[in-house]
Amino acid sequence: MPREVHPGIHWIQEFGPDRPGIASSLIDRGAHWYRPGREIHVPQNAFLFAGEQTLLFDTLSPAADEQILADLETVLDGRALDYLALSHPDVPHAGNTFRILERHPGATLVAPRFGRTHELYHLEDAHKVGPGDSLDLGGLRLHFHDAAFLDAAMSMWMTEETSGMLLPVDWMGLPLMDGEGLLFADEFRSPVDVDRYAEFHGRVMFWMRYVDVARTQAEIDLLAERYRPAMIASAHGPVIRADVPRYFEMMKEVVERVATGGRTGVL
Amino acid sequence: MATAPGVDPEVPLTQDVSWIAENYPLGEGRNVHVSVFLIRAGEKNILIDSGSFYHRESLVRRISRATAGAGIHSLVLSHSDYPHSGNIPAFRRRWGDFEIVASSGEPEIQGLPYARRSRIGGSLEVAGRVLDFLDPPLADRSHTSWIYDRGSSVLFVADGFGYHHADDETGLTSRQLPDGFRSEEIYTFHRDTLIWLRYADPSVLMGVLREMLEEREVSWVAPIHGNPIAAEHLDDYLERLEDGVRRIVREQAV
Repeated sequence: MPREVHPGIHWIQEFGPDRPGIASSLIDRGAHWYRPGREIHVPQNAFLFAGEQTLLFDTLSPAADEQILADLETVLDGRALDYLALSHPDVPHAGNTFRILERHPGATLVAPRFGRTHELYHLEDAHKVGPGDSLDLGGLRLHFHDAAFLDAAMSMWMTEETSGMLLPVDWMGLPLMDGEGLLFADEFRSPVDVDRYAEFHGRVMFWMRYVDVARTQAEIDLLAERYRPAMIASAHGPVIRADVPRYFEMMKEVVERVATGGRTGVL
Repeated sequence: MATAPGVDPEVPLTQDVSWIAENYPLGEGRNVHVSVFLIRAGEKNILIDSGSFYHRESLVRRISRATAGAGIHSLVLSHSDYPHSGNIPAFRRRWGDFEIVASSGEPEIQGLPYARRSRIGGSLEVAGRVLDFLDPPLADRSHTSWIYDRGSSVLFVADGFGYHHADDETGLTSRQLPDGFRSEEIYTFHRDTLIWLRYADPSVLMGVLREMLEEREVSWVAPIHGNPIAAEHLDDYLERLEDGVRRIVREQAV
């Protein structure tokens, strides 16, 4: 069942398959937060913004096609889906686009403006947005931004004004243990700390092993200053609603950990 | 026109590896390849990547011609980005349920629950051929692997080693480019494709890349998004690439 994380903002989560390979790796390196025997999952998140109009941000992966349609139906409760926005055309984020548009044929597809290869993703007719563009849903107001930490070049981040929410997509994700689905970061019983974030970023943002640490940390400082979010809603992690600046500091440590310790694996 | 008329159905790189070059025009005289490569492994045909649905008809036609109608027996994916994996259902309808080797990600999440999984750092025998799956220093998606074919010493790479080639350079290898590679087009490709390079430490990155290439004999670097680079042109490309990375870092200062 989706969870409402702020009035009108609903969190839809695909918990994903058990990842025994990640669990073995955690045991091998003695990750302090992991309890052997517990399942490990890397979630996919989508967020439905329901003001006077509605917008879904990302689609979950093709493995959750029935789930996203059912969860949407639950949250929309008979209302129309007005917009489907894709953070980037990556399979785990956009893999159910056509299923959703078949079910909601009146929805406008929204995609990142960046790049010149939209045709290669069937996005040539999408409404393209980027820095400076906003969308007023009536009661909720969305702003689109360049993605600072990303995988695919054709990517965007989003903020929602009334909640102060930043959606940094692939950044600030982490692996979950069973029972940790749809929990706010402050509701976890086990630590949500640098080690856990480094496990994720050492896989998804493996390129951090090749970065200039000081330069990358300076970018994180700039992001914290620019957005000053009250909430963070990553595509692969828990929603953060408390003590947000601490997470930016943790991400600076994550960069250092990956740059010096190398890649932790793949997803 | 996506791919220039008159382009050969395939461009031989080695005795048993050929390039099926497809072109996507970016405008203003710049283009990018979105290609596949064919390995003839005895009686079996292995395809590296499936290409984009944008080139589907052309790819089916050209693969059919290149294989005398036999089609493909195994498909190995560098990663599951749509321009690399967009033709799997169409190819299966055409050539049956051939073997699919997914890149190192979770196949179900990548929409390929029926695929055999590769692992970075591991090797697989595919249609009798041994392929090594390498950790790619120049990539964007976590689940990307570079694929090294021990039989031909060809290294298949995505998304790095690309090139924004000119209109008349479609389907030309480094041995056929009249004036070789131009630094500007190596730079623009990597600037626009691998956004994270703005944070890179060029010395660290290029050190890892050169080490990887020195660890094994490489006859060709075969990029999905570039013009194939023959061994004798690799040092020149790497020098231009390093200059390009340094320029990206310089121009996109935080």
